[in-house]
Amino acid sequence: MTPTATPTAEPPAARRRPAPASFETWSWLFMRVSGLILLFLALTHFAITHIVNDVTETDIGFVADRWDNPLWRVFDWALLALALLHGLNGLRWIVDDYVRSPGARTAVKAALYSVSAALFGLGTLTIVTFSGP
Amino acid sequence: MGQAPPVSRSRATVYRGRSGQWAFLTHRVTGFLVFLFLLLHIVDVSLVARPDLYDQVHDLYGNVLLRLFEVGLLFALVFHALNGLRIVMVDFFPGAIRNERAMLKAVVVITTVVTVAGGFVILEPFLAGRVW
Repeated sequence: MTPTATPTAEPPAARRRPAPASFETWSWLFMRVSGLILLFLALTHFAITHIVNDVTETDIGFVADRWDNPLWRVFDWALLALALLHGLNGLRWIVDDYVRSPGARTAVKAALYSVSAALFGLGTLTIVTFSGP
Repeated sequence: MGQAPPVSRSRATVYRGRSGQWAFLTHRVTGFLVFLFLLLHIVDVSLVARPDLYDQVHDLYGNVLLRLFEVGLLFALVFHALNGLRIVMVDFFPGAIRNERAMLKAVVVITTVVTVAGGFVILEPFLAGRVW
């Protein structure tokens, strides 16, 4: 069968055009961009609190000294927000892969989103309202 | 075109992708564990609003069992970060897929070196007998 025999078929170029960007496309891109930023933020955070300083030195005085500088609060809040969203989206993919029944999937996702939202609020409050020991 | 043969659940989720399959699985497990730790960590840091309680809870992190846990966290973070970089390379640079296995080897080697070196620094106060 030649292409001319099927006039209603789209030309090949049109069929190859990528689908318009959907939520899942943005979700895919977000994971890569946030992942690159988190590579820097999370590894810097771990190096400061476990390698450069011993973990026992990061007491309330250490937190007070660091959060005296608003830039460290911005750093920590960016880490909090990006890590939570990146992890939340990863968990969403995991739930979609392994929780097959629609009811259970909705329930697990509701729990996941509620806990994440609550902890995002708690973490933001902690960083914003801290005023020293 | 015939219908695809029925596949059992276990066959459907294991595609026998060899090293890529293990990279995928390890990436998932490390990401999941780091996320769980993040939830715990937000709660323990929130105790700074009550400084005495924060210091009491925070002291636990110096215990040798939690130091070992921190070495595990370092492994999970570094593997997930470097393997994520490998995924970004494969997704954004056409042709990088040809070096995907070499990149995975680099991920494993660097993760091992960083975990062993960092693990020594984290466990040193215990090894030197300063904490238990």
